[in-house]
Amino acid sequence: MTAVNSSDEIAPSRMLHRLTVLIVCLVWPLIWVGGLVTTYDAGMSVPDWPGTYGYNLFLYPYKTWLFGPFDLFIEHGHRLLGAVVGFVAIGIVIAAFWKENRRWVRWLCVALLLMVIAQGALGGVRVVLSDRTLAMVHGCFGPAFFAICVILAVVTGRRWRQDSDAERLRSSTSILTPTKKLAALAISLVVLSYVQLLLGAMMRHVQPTTSAGHFAGIVSTHILTAFFLWAMTGLVWLRLRRCGDLTLSRPGGILIFLVAVQIALGIGTWVVNYGWPSFMTWVPGSQSFLVQAKGFVDSMIVTGHVATGSLILAVSAMLCVRLFHRRWQAKQDRLVAT
Amino acid sequence: MKVSLLPNCFLIAALLLVGPGCDAPVESFPDNDVYALTLAHSRDVPTEAASRDVSSVIEELFGTPNQPRWPSELMDPDLRISEQNLTRAAGPQLSEKDGTHLGLFREHCVTCHALSGSGAGPASVFQNPYPRDFRPGVYKWKSTQRDAKPTRDDLTKLLQHGVAGSGMPSFSLIDPDDLDALVDYIVYLSVRGETERELMAAAIDELGYGEDSIDDDARLVTQGELVTQGETDGAAVIREVVEEVSNQWASAESEVVPVPAWEELSGETLAASVNRGKELFHGPIANCVGCHGKGGQGQAVTLDYDDWTKEYSTRLGLTPTDRDAMRPFKKAGALTPRLAKPRKLTLGVYRGGGDTDSLYRRITQGIAGSPMPAVAVVEQEDGTGLTSDQIFDLIRYVQSLGPQSTVPQSEFNYQSSTP
Repeated sequence: MTAVNSSDEIAPSRMLHRLTVLIVCLVWPLIWVGGLVTTYDAGMSVPDWPGTYGYNLFLYPYKTWLFGPFDLFIEHGHRLLGAVVGFVAIGIVIAAFWKENRRWVRWLCVALLLMVIAQGALGGVRVVLSDRTLAMVHGCFGPAFFAICVILAVVTGRRWRQDSDAERLRSSTSILTPTKKLAALAISLVVLSYVQLLLGAMMRHVQPTTSAGHFAGIVSTHILTAFFLWAMTGLVWLRLRRCGDLTLSRPGGILIFLVAVQIALGIGTWVVNYGWPSFMTWVPGSQSFLVQAKGFVDSMIVTGHVATGSLILAVSAMLCVRLFHRRWQAKQDRLVAT
Repeated sequence: MKVSLLPNCFLIAALLLVGPGCDAPVESFPDNDVYALTLAHSRDVPTEAASRDVSSVIEELFGTPNQPRWPSELMDPDLRISEQNLTRAAGPQLSEKDGTHLGLFREHCVTCHALSGSGAGPASVFQNPYPRDFRPGVYKWKSTQRDAKPTRDDLTKLLQHGVAGSGMPSFSLIDPDDLDALVDYIVYLSVRGETERELMAAAIDELGYGEDSIDDDARLVTQGELVTQGETDGAAVIREVVEEVSNQWASAESEVVPVPAWEELSGETLAASVNRGKELFHGPIANCVGCHGKGGQGQAVTLDYDDWTKEYSTRLGLTPTDRDAMRPFKKAGALTPRLAKPRKLTLGVYRGGGDTDSLYRRITQGIAGSPMPAVAVVEQEDGTGLTSDQIFDLIRYVQSLGPQSTVPQSEFNYQSSTP
């Protein structure tokens, strides 16, 4: 076995990459629509599954869907979009086994398909059992699936293949070799982003029987972790900003921006749900602010917070995968040199 | 309906994986442990037996959070509560094909007000003031006498307008039928909660539940028909308590405070009225300045609490800031007492409404459950209260304080003494 894969060995599969990009472009809107379903409490607007009010999912009268109640519109729309994602995932597996010669990529594609099936089933069971906790699990599994989609898009991309070219690597001696510490930081970013998603989901799907103390604990941890995560993105960016590889430094910078936006959206989410907290009454207008139940802008802020959380996880995962790839390449390089 | 094999296989697999569901079961309303503890402190008797029997009676009378019941056989017929509305508002969140939402209380209210309406919901500790505890049946924002219940219209308006500057949202975008169902459910929780409290007090004070043994005749058990017939002492007490509570709610409409006719003023007459109001605001009879501070800037130091938290602190001789004294109550589900802050009137935000009629009622009745006192209305100036004309002067002055006010500021508007 040769130590380094050349670009010839990794046959280009444009079709697979395009399909993975397509699924990324579909899943983020899917997360938005899923978030809206929860924001509008529309999760139980279609009480049966896998059909919709007795109809096959794809045969449900489109006029009733488009011009019926808003709850039905978003819930059925969420299911349809989910089904489309499922079909694209099937296409990805076919393309992978047809064109892709890296075995681990093929199996990652299979895992992706299994995840989309599991996610659909989770959504279905949540409806059939009318269970809020399962809605939370469904809500947490979606971002993980999105992150896997992004990773697949990265590893099937042209850039990844170029990076695998040992000749190119050797010519770019200025490119940083990530240290263990940096790799650990990148993993921590992924883990913390996901922990934040879990905490957020616990707040969003809070049980009626949850104690005030327990909820307060979740809220406090969510807030503290948010600022800790923000500080970590700053630290990662400081290490990457002059690494000579834009595929690393750019996501690092984007993460700082995304977490800042996410913190602002988080404050907004709290305010539109519960009003301004006591320690922020210095904000002009806070003492006259009126919470509006089910307001459109308010709902978009809340759902935007959910969707941005997924984006942070996906970008962190992308950065992490690229960093590890870079480390692996450096290791291969050293092997060649010796 | 056509059954597709593949999705159902996945459904079965997923069902096997997740078991019968993971939600915390909502089988019954939690007992009012805080009030039981309060009674135990104030009467110096054990309350476990009373709590246990009251709990079973309350569940038999009012049902559960998923299957509420309205004991119409004991209720005042004027108190029209729709059982259909209760069913719509109770239970888990669902929506029907036509967009009708079910489980409205859990959709809109439970995170702050809690399942039993205790006001100690998951998000309650972050609210200031705390969400309303419906169970004592005391409401701040209403058109009725201080001690009376709010009318249905008061509750509906409150839901529609919300409470600015607090966590209470405006539900103006929600279907009016949903709001109607929610009002029914709030009254239901209130009547249920008050009945529970009154029965617990009666059990201790009248039926001897604090003693070592309880007479069978005095036991609080509904025994079906016996409640309506009142054949035992216990059953008679249940009937009396439920009837008394429901009568108070049924008579709310007759307790609305009438507002005398008032005149829209402008120009010099308005300015003169505002100036007179300012004098009254800072004067000894209304003495608004004592709490709201000079010029209504809310800078006076006050050390009072609201009635909901006073019940388990100062009224028991306990210091609200004494953590050790408060610990058992907090463990039972009570919220930490917080100082009741008088409104900063210069914000121009009036939580119960800033229109003249609402302010007239607020001044003449005070705010139930809060330290805000009532000003007596007198026919002639006699130093003990204010005439209605003086109250309207006071209202015009208060209305002039807000930043968006169209009412002219008083010539001698007080400014804060601190920079």
